[in-house]
Amino acid sequence: MDIKELLNEILLKDKAFIHLPFGNGKYDIYESVVVTWIIMAIVLVALLILTHGFKVHNISKRQAAVEAFVVWVRKMVGDMLGEEAAGYTDYIVTVLIFLGVSNMSGLLGFIPPTMDINVTAALALMSIVLVEAAGIHHKGTKGWLKSFIQPMVVVAPMNIMELAIKPLSLCMRLFGNIIGATVIMELLKHVLPFALPVPFSVYFDMFDGLIQAYVFVFLTSLYIKEAVE
Amino acid sequence: MDFTALGAAIAVFTGLGAGLGIGMATSKATDAVARQPEADGKILKLLVLGCALAEATAIYGFVIAIMILFS
Amino acid sequence: MLEFSAINIGCTIANLLILYAIFRIFLFKRVDKILLQRKEEVDEATKAADLATQQALSTKKEYEERIALADEEKEQILADIKKQGYDEYDRIVSDAKKKGEQIIVEAKHNAEVENERAKEVYAAQLTDMVIDAAAKIAATKHSSADDKELYDKFINEAGVDNE
Repeated sequence: MDIKELLNEILLKDKAFIHLPFGNGKYDIYESVVVTWIIMAIVLVALLILTHGFKVHNISKRQAAVEAFVVWVRKMVGDMLGEEAAGYTDYIVTVLIFLGVSNMSGLLGFIPPTMDINVTAALALMSIVLVEAAGIHHKGTKGWLKSFIQPMVVVAPMNIMELAIKPLSLCMRLFGNIIGATVIMELLKHVLPFALPVPFSVYFDMFDGLIQAYVFVFLTSLYIKEAVE
Repeated sequence: MDFTALGAAIAVFTGLGAGLGIGMATSKATDAVARQPEADGKILKLLVLGCALAEATAIYGFVIAIMILFS
Repeated sequence: MLEFSAINIGCTIANLLILYAIFRIFLFKRVDKILLQRKEEVDEATKAADLATQQALSTKKEYEERIALADEEKEQILADIKKQGYDEYDRIVSDAKKKGEQIIVEAKHNAEVENERAKEVYAAQLTDMVIDAAAKIAATKHSSADDKELYDKFINEAGVDNE
């Protein structure tokens, strides 16, 4: 059955891209990490080109667009974070842009890095570490520990479980969305290789990718806001 | 007898909840926009967010199904 | 497909941190710098504008004061001139009055002197006449008729002269 073979090919292929001579495949670098490097290089070059020669007066259209974008995205993220946690805006914006670019990298023929659970797990780990660090930073260690037994002592196990549930939920949501979208796109391409995948690609690669990036960032911001209150 | 496909099918039933949730959210959002057309921007934002969150359950089911089938 | 690989998670975390640094250095700091500079310039411009406004206001006040002073001076001068005019007028009128009175007084005096002179002339004439009459009487003989004639003549002459 060729669909099963196709799915096998997509989902079970060897992700290792760089084979290291030691550790028997345990230390292989996956393709997702290499794609992330490529995305980072592209972002770096794009930023160097976009922010080159900024002036205070007589700004070019490029500079005006970059400034407007930065102000807009910062305002959006800042609104989600609230005033107290506004210092984390830059990191959240970075994650948002990285996720947006990653989720849409399928358009350029790459395999999206977010399709690898290791990448989403790393992102979720960073998020939960940031959330707890923000809690400790704003409330002090005592206040942070006390926040586990609020509003009642009975809910303490729930709060501790949330430490694991929050990042797992973040990780799985992003991973599942992207892998689902990719699988559906592959199936569609298998059914009809031209014309048909275009509108679906617009939905799955662009709209869904951006929405998931936004949701990831929104939830992270929500947790940070909750932690610092 | 191989029951893995059946397991995957049951896992995909999570889509039921997601569909119901998104349907209810959308109907409420429609009501809200009908009542307050000037707040449609905020309502749309909340709706998209809620839909993405509700969709997550379906996604979990999908991930579980794939895990059952391919692991 | 769902196995975790510590080294790849570590690599991704490192990548994220590097990406964050890239964004910080090449996007946010640059934009912030420009925005800050622009804000400073706007602040400076606002300050300069405030200063200029204040200066303009103070200058305006000064000028208004000066104008008020000039107005006062003008009124003073006008009043002075008016006063001078009135004084002159009064002086001229009083001079004229004085002169008129003097003229009247002189005229009265002249009239009196003339009167006196006329009286003296009459008296002299009367004396002459009397002397003349006396001489005539002395020259002619005396009779009562003569006396009467003479008396009438004298009366007539005097009356004619006095008319």
